[in-house]
Amino acid sequence: LPICPNESGTCQVPLGELFERAVRLSHYIHFLSSEMFNEFDERYTQGRDFITKAVNGCHTSSLTTPEDKEQTQQIHHGDLLNLVVGVLRSWNDPLIHLASEVQRMKEAPKTILWKATEIEEQNKRLLEGMEKIIGRIHSGETGNEVFSQWEDLPSLQLDDEDSRLFAFYKLMHCLRRDSHKIDNYLKVLRCRLIHDSNC
Amino acid sequence: NVSPPEKPRIIKCRSPEKETFTCWWKPGGHPTNYTFLYSKEGEEQVHECPDYRSGGPNSCYFDKKHTSFWTVYNITVRATNEVGSSMSDPHYVDVTYIVQPDPPVNISLELKKPINRKKYLVLTWSPPPLADVRSGWLTLEYELQIKPEEGEEWETVFVGQQTQYKLFSLNPGKNYVVQIRCKPDHHGSWSEWSSEHYFQTPPEFRVKEM
Repeated sequence: LPICPNESGTCQVPLGELFERAVRLSHYIHFLSSEMFNEFDERYTQGRDFITKAVNGCHTSSLTTPEDKEQTQQIHHGDLLNLVVGVLRSWNDPLIHLASEVQRMKEAPKTILWKATEIEEQNKRLLEGMEKIIGRIHSGETGNEVFSQWEDLPSLQLDDEDSRLFAFYKLMHCLRRDSHKIDNYLKVLRCRLIHDSNC
Repeated sequence: NVSPPEKPRIIKCRSPEKETFTCWWKPGGHPTNYTFLYSKEGEEQVHECPDYRSGGPNSCYFDKKHTSFWTVYNITVRATNEVGSSMSDPHYVDVTYIVQPDPPVNISLELKKPINRKKYLVLTWSPPPLADVRSGWLTLEYELQIKPEEGEEWETVFVGQQTQYKLFSLNPGKNYVVQIRCKPDHHGSWSEWSSEHYFQTPPEFRVKEM
């Protein structure tokens, strides 16, 4: 994008373009997360009925996020931006370990490993972009430091295969869910802030 | 003599606009009473169906107030008659993944005559009325299929998120039929095809390869 010096002579990418890039990234991250989950589920967990156990919440459950359209539309954009950043930050650590632990799996599936690594990379880029957006909207800020700690690394390293596979399943299930939330919230924020709620 | 009711089975759950949803079950023999029960992820409490009517027979309708996303509903149906009762298997639903929109509407066609350039046709349509795409809550992708009116073979084109499409490679003075359908951008299923839209290309319509 051509550098566009504004009145103060500094180079700034327009906010609208920052949002377009963020939405492209969030869409891509969710697409990868969904593909990775489906591939892992198909390959490792068929018939183990993990869904019934996975429904006891993700490590990000402590971050109260909107659960429907009305809540998403009623929340102030600053709070929703902070929530998005909080969820992204909460995934930094687990994504680092997911990639390394998938690598240690028996016959580590290359396609799942590639996706885990790519998601880790893109998640960092999206977080940087979101901090830039928040800094632009609330000059100088980078979003509050709220995020949710992940403490399940030991379960990814268990000797018992069933328990270990369930830990991977749950992490990928939660990643698919949270990346979809982020993608959805960013699309709503883009429409609200850039297109006057008229996408 | 009467036997205990057959085990009911939940056959489908659908959200038409990612705001409400309905589930249907397959009834067993008559007369039988059905109770639709559900609990939500992270909650111990079991609730009964909020609305047995709006979705028609053997259904449960969840309005906006009862519909949450990114959370798993654990659903069962109990059938009861004077002799006994039986319970369906649990059915797990996250409404995020059961969105099937209605078909697109307002399909129309316009002949464009740019100066010094070839004429072409622009096909336009609107999202289904129930779908709130303006706020960004629901993002739809579209697919169109077109064929000569007497032809057999449909040509299918994935159009992405736009609601218009330029038609170039058509034969002049020919009758064509086109349909469009849509799907949420990530999860869910394609809508039914829209109603068929018939049109004829103008005789002097010079085509250009796609």
